[in-house]
Amino acid sequence: MSAITLQHLVKRFGAFTALKSMDLAIADGEFIALLGPSGCGKSTTMNIIAGMETPSEGRILFGERDMAGVPMGRRGVGFVFQNYAIFTHMSVRRNLDYGLRMTGRPAKEIARRTSAMAELLGLTDLLDRPAQGLSVNILQRLAIGRSAVMEPAIFLLDEPLSNVDAAFRAVMRTELKSLQRQFKQTMVYVTHDQLEAMTMADRIAVMDHGVLQQVGTPLEVYNTPANTFVARFIGSPGMNLFTGTLTTTSAGLAVDLGPLGISPPLALAQAAAAQQAKGAVIYGFRPEEVGLAPPSEPAFDLPLSLTERIGARTILHLGTPQAEVRAVFQSGTAIPEGLLRLAPAPAAVRLFDAGTGTALLVA
Amino acid sequence: MTRSVAFEAFRYVAILIALAVTLIPILWMASMAFKPVAEWQATGANLTWIPNDPTLDNFRFLFGESNSNLIVALDRTAGKPILSSLLSATFGTILAMTAGTAAAYGLSRFGSGANLPLALIQLRLFPPMAVMIPVMMMWAFLGLMDTWWGLALVYGIVTLPFAFWLMKTFFDEMPKEIEEAALVEGCSRWRVFIRVTLPMMAAPLAAASLFVFILNWSDYLIALLLTTRNWVTIPVYMASLSSSMTGQLYGAKAALGLIAAVPPVILGIVIQKHLVRGLTFGALKQ
Amino acid sequence: MTLTDTQPLIPIKRAKDEGARLGFRLTLPAQLLVLFIAVFPLLMQLYISLTDWSPLSGASWPQAWQFWNSFANYSEMIADKRLWSALGRTLFIIAICVPIEFLLGLGLATLFVDDFPGKRVAYSILIAPMMVVPAVAGYMFFMLFQSGGPVNDILSWFTLDPVAIAWLSDRHLALVAVMVTDIWQWTPLMFLILLAGLVGVPADQLKAAALLGASPWQRFRTIVIPRMKTIIIIALAIRVIECFKIFDTLFIMTGGGPGVATETISVYIYKVTTNDLIWGYVAAIALAILIVLSIGAVWAMKRLAR
Repeated sequence: MSAITLQHLVKRFGAFTALKSMDLAIADGEFIALLGPSGCGKSTTMNIIAGMETPSEGRILFGERDMAGVPMGRRGVGFVFQNYAIFTHMSVRRNLDYGLRMTGRPAKEIARRTSAMAELLGLTDLLDRPAQGLSVNILQRLAIGRSAVMEPAIFLLDEPLSNVDAAFRAVMRTELKSLQRQFKQTMVYVTHDQLEAMTMADRIAVMDHGVLQQVGTPLEVYNTPANTFVARFIGSPGMNLFTGTLTTTSAGLAVDLGPLGISPPLALAQAAAAQQAKGAVIYGFRPEEVGLAPPSEPAFDLPLSLTERIGARTILHLGTPQAEVRAVFQSGTAIPEGLLRLAPAPAAVRLFDAGTGTALLVA
Repeated sequence: MTRSVAFEAFRYVAILIALAVTLIPILWMASMAFKPVAEWQATGANLTWIPNDPTLDNFRFLFGESNSNLIVALDRTAGKPILSSLLSATFGTILAMTAGTAAAYGLSRFGSGANLPLALIQLRLFPPMAVMIPVMMMWAFLGLMDTWWGLALVYGIVTLPFAFWLMKTFFDEMPKEIEEAALVEGCSRWRVFIRVTLPMMAAPLAAASLFVFILNWSDYLIALLLTTRNWVTIPVYMASLSSSMTGQLYGAKAALGLIAAVPPVILGIVIQKHLVRGLTFGALKQ
Repeated sequence: MTLTDTQPLIPIKRAKDEGARLGFRLTLPAQLLVLFIAVFPLLMQLYISLTDWSPLSGASWPQAWQFWNSFANYSEMIADKRLWSALGRTLFIIAICVPIEFLLGLGLATLFVDDFPGKRVAYSILIAPMMVVPAVAGYMFFMLFQSGGPVNDILSWFTLDPVAIAWLSDRHLALVAVMVTDIWQWTPLMFLILLAGLVGVPADQLKAAALLGASPWQRFRTIVIPRMKTIIIIALAIRVIECFKIFDTLFIMTGGGPGVATETISVYIYKVTTNDLIWGYVAAIALAILIVLSIGAVWAMKRLAR
């Protein structure tokens, strides 16, 4: 009943196309994150699911039911706005029980459900306080509680943690996740913060410029990005990507990386994938997958230009800004002075078609 | 919000009705202004919204040309009342804006004259009639009765609250950094006010001045009491046209009404962005 | 020379002094004007209100003491039936016109919240009436309400019979005509102010309410109106105060007549001032009004401050 299906969804605002034919199937009870940079269309998608916008083309189905023409008050969705949209002229209680009152539930039921939700979210002491002037953390809980008390089958959250301070964000992530497990709602979560998406979501839908780039579990999206956008967007820092041409060397199929001066050979699996290439390829590897290469192996031979120490990790920037390799090491690792010889683990190399950017996948 | 078709239809019908109700009186007066004498009193089936025989006679009549269809002639033309309205409204505006802007700046930047906001609002609270007798007495004593400058003085005082409150909210909203930069450079505060602040405030000053001008131009009661013959303003002159004549001079008065009413309406539409602020003494902005 | 701690303060203090001096000079003109129009007239009114003076008496006003009658004017005021009915009539007009203007203005404002084609033009036209010179508006409606005029003409379309109501000669209909004029001229003001208030209601909260199942009417009742409380009070206060002063349109339309059928408080005072010329009495009335209104204003301010 609360599975969501988006079929060929297109949304235009005048001359501007916000969504270009999006297809997505969200399972009942799934926690899916819509992840992408500003302007990618994730909020538009969610507004369409909620009924605040109508699609220019395409359909939305909740379960089997086509939602065209169903007004937003009747869709049974909960919605948490980025700025919470709390009714600041009412008390906390009147905010919490607003939906129940407007839909005419009996007074006893309203009281019972309200106090239960307040209890759950730690708002009981604040029930009769005016909502105006409360801290952001409390407002956020109130926003969630106000929608949750209606027990919607589908819960939509539009970057709810972006205004919350960092310490509290971690707490809220776990709370939201446990709420979702408890009520078994289908949760659609819009964010530009990949850490949130990676830690909370069952699946992530990565979007850019109105196009769905990839849908998959966090691990899938991380390990097997579908294209160079996802490869660069996911991971902090994103994947190192270099354009090169396939050549044959004594060690087998390799990628000539031109200005970088090396032609690393490809492992068997990648070599097989490389057969699908129609020209130049993009050679990619995650900064975490880099290690010091033995002298006999081909490696990136680059001077260290910048070191970023972020507590447990250290990010090294090597080479020039035009041809930069980023490497991530645990902070305790000993790093030799001078030129470093680094190579990625062969199995971690990912290849992409240089023309389209799509991943060349191991068949 | 996406609205239903029924709502959109209702909206259009309601707005059309509102527009019709708004325009009908104005259009009737406009049509009457261009009607010849024969059509002034047409009733029933002869009543027309567009003159059968449009003419500029009414306007000519106001400015001295005698109308062969009217047995009466004006003892004076509309020229002087128009001049009187212009002079008294303009100079009243200048007075109100000068005193008001200065005081608003003084309060906004230096906190001087803290009693003014309340005092000026109280000024608008009282019915003009309740203060006019002493004003008439004073004006008679000072020789200001029946003069455009005497009128301008009253206008300046009566619209001072609007000038003050409008400019005060504008000054309060203006960031102080630019002034402070000039102060650091060594300008005296007075020079800062004249050379820096006022030029930056040109647009709000213009809007406030137009607003005050509209109010002064629209006055009737004060002019009715303070002018008798020489410097009557347009509304007083217009009202007097029938009391000294036999029969209603519909067309001529309608023409005069157009002359009096059209400029402020146009000015008001020009400054419409500032109307809410002006009418609520800065309590609300648009 | 050594720099001491106090030296940096001197330029600042000088600046502050300079500011205070300039501020005083800047506010001086306004203060003088207010003094001129508030204090002197008040004292003069007080003086002659205690006399039986009239400009016809032959003496100039400084010699009004010759006609001293202490508080006789004030007691006469209380018994003055015409005064009280004028006051009642004024309050009646306020009680009818202001609510109607409010409701019509609010209704129109709700239609203007969204964008639609032609909105700017429609808006400009709809605010025009309040900028029409009130005296001219009075004459416009004088013409409209003539027995051979357009109002009767339009009514005839509906009743199919020729309608020839003599609006301005009938005691009750004249009042109706006057109120219609006021509503025509000042509904746009309510529209203007209430629209500004409506637009200030956060759209997100309205959407959130809709998603929680609230109908348009429920959203209006629980979110729009409560958030507009202050603006509504301001709009009503402004309109009530201005309506109390009503003169120009009414006087041009009916002159206060027929008889005293449309005589409001301002018209009454005007008539006594210019026809009967008993200025001592009028001064007493004026002072009484000023005192009552001042007390009312102070009381209202105290309530608002709470």
